[in-house]
Amino acid sequence: MKLPESIQRAEAYLAERFPVEKMNYTSLVLKKEVPIHRLAWGYYLGGLALFFFMVQVVTGLMLLFYYQPTVSDAHASVEYITEHVPAGALVRNIHAWASSLMIASVMVHLLTALAMKAFGKPREITWVTGVLLLGITFAFGFTGYLLPWHQIAVNATKIGLQTVEEIGKYLPGQMAAWPGQLKEIIQGEASVGQATLSRFFALHVIILPLAIAAALGLHLASVQLHGMSQGVDEKPRRQEKFFPNFLLKDLSVWGVAFMVLFILGLGLPFESLFAYPLFEPFNPKGSTPDGIKPEWYFFWVYYPLELLPLWVIMLGQGVLGAGLMATPWVFKNTNRRTLQLIAVAAGAYLVVMTVFGERIYHLFKG
Amino acid sequence: MKSKLLNCGYRHHLFLALVLFVTSGTIQLRAHPEFQQFIVKHSGRPVNCAFCHANADGPEGAGLGQIGHLTAAEQAELVRARTTFEPGAKLNSPILNAFGNHIINRLGKRKFLELRLAPAQLAETLPKDSDLDGDGIPDVKEFLAGTHPLISSDGNPWLLFRANFRRNLTPIALTLAATVAGLWGLGHLLHGFAVAARLKDDEAEELNP
Repeated sequence: MKLPESIQRAEAYLAERFPVEKMNYTSLVLKKEVPIHRLAWGYYLGGLALFFFMVQVVTGLMLLFYYQPTVSDAHASVEYITEHVPAGALVRNIHAWASSLMIASVMVHLLTALAMKAFGKPREITWVTGVLLLGITFAFGFTGYLLPWHQIAVNATKIGLQTVEEIGKYLPGQMAAWPGQLKEIIQGEASVGQATLSRFFALHVIILPLAIAAALGLHLASVQLHGMSQGVDEKPRRQEKFFPNFLLKDLSVWGVAFMVLFILGLGLPFESLFAYPLFEPFNPKGSTPDGIKPEWYFFWVYYPLELLPLWVIMLGQGVLGAGLMATPWVFKNTNRRTLQLIAVAAGAYLVVMTVFGERIYHLFKG
Repeated sequence: MKSKLLNCGYRHHLFLALVLFVTSGTIQLRAHPEFQQFIVKHSGRPVNCAFCHANADGPEGAGLGQIGHLTAAEQAELVRARTTFEPGAKLNSPILNAFGNHIINRLGKRKFLELRLAPAQLAETLPKDSDLDGDGIPDVKEFLAGTHPLISSDGNPWLLFRANFRRNLTPIALTLAATVAGLWGLGHLLHGFAVAARLKDDEAEELNP
């Protein structure tokens, strides 16, 4: 029986993106080669993000043994982990540092993949799943931020959810109510409370891990089946064996990352970067301490949000989201030099807003 | 006998209530915001009453560590703390935290009240080597930096890192050695697999040229 033409086309499209005939020891291990060129360092970033993700899974599972997802006990259980559980402070601190390092490495990985045009045919699905993974990683950060139930966690979540509701002001007719309804669905009750904590906990430890496992599975399968992209416009003169040369270098990078994480976990408590009143248990009747803001990886959107009208930011976010998903088709014929310029500009914007965002805000707002 | 005891307890509570009533008019003064204002101005970091007090919202109110929440014994201790002006009395005021009590015990209340006019001098007057949270940063430095002297995870990030790094040098060195040795061993193992695979490949090519 002959399949309809559209299904045949879809089948051919998928067969080209997932060449399962390459799924064998010879192709994946023995014959696989990695190009060597000036941007080859970018090939290690995906593996680095994967390493931090694995650290998050292991440390997250350890924290699960003691963490209590209730508004009355969440903060106390986190304090108990930090002060009474053997190596609890180290595990918790590594979890906090690895989350930031994972997001940083995912962001740099996306920029280098853009600069190296790693989304070109037949790697479109690798790119799209990568963008999805970035979104899921941000969602991990947002949901995990609330779990310790301290002042900055609850108040920053309130601000985030409030922003969702405010989008309704710019939507026409019945659509104006949708963001408010979405906020209620996420929040689960009138204000951020037990229902919100339960939902964020479920998202953080079950739903998002399942989502990331699916997206990561597709992403890694695609990467392994197609190998590393060429990365530069001119054909690289040198190649190295994936096994064992590149794999060993990759593992060495993991070793360095592990040591950095271990030393950071032992030496620098994540909380020391903030004022202590922000880490007191959330008190709905108490005063809100100064300095409430989201995690650093949201500064690139948070400070513009404080300076510009919401609709400008929403428009920008919409264009950015759609642009990222459509990158393989929008930049299909763009040369790598132009893409590198775009990636450098985007990277510079992220660094400037992350490091100097607060100063820029005060410069304009006084 | 019973009524005498009750009467005695009643009189005791009446006395405490009277003392608290008389002193309650000056509670705003007793919260001593001069020190908080100095810390914020000097360090640029926001701090709250929990720096010295048992409750983040200060001594007033009915919350934990606040005047309205005290038991009779705690009220008695509070009265003793409020009426002792010289240092070294081993006071344990229930509305203060360990740092607040440390200040009063070391300086005495008279000196402490004098320092309200020059809060910066508190750092010069307190013992330089005291480190109540054991984070490696002396309380005096924490006072000036606006970081909490009782929270070991709160401190100047660089000073904390340096102190923790020195303290954990042995586990760091051992972990580094284990990581390097693990990678070295893994490297040899993978190289061995690669050579074995190549040999097998060559043999297969020889058999089927």
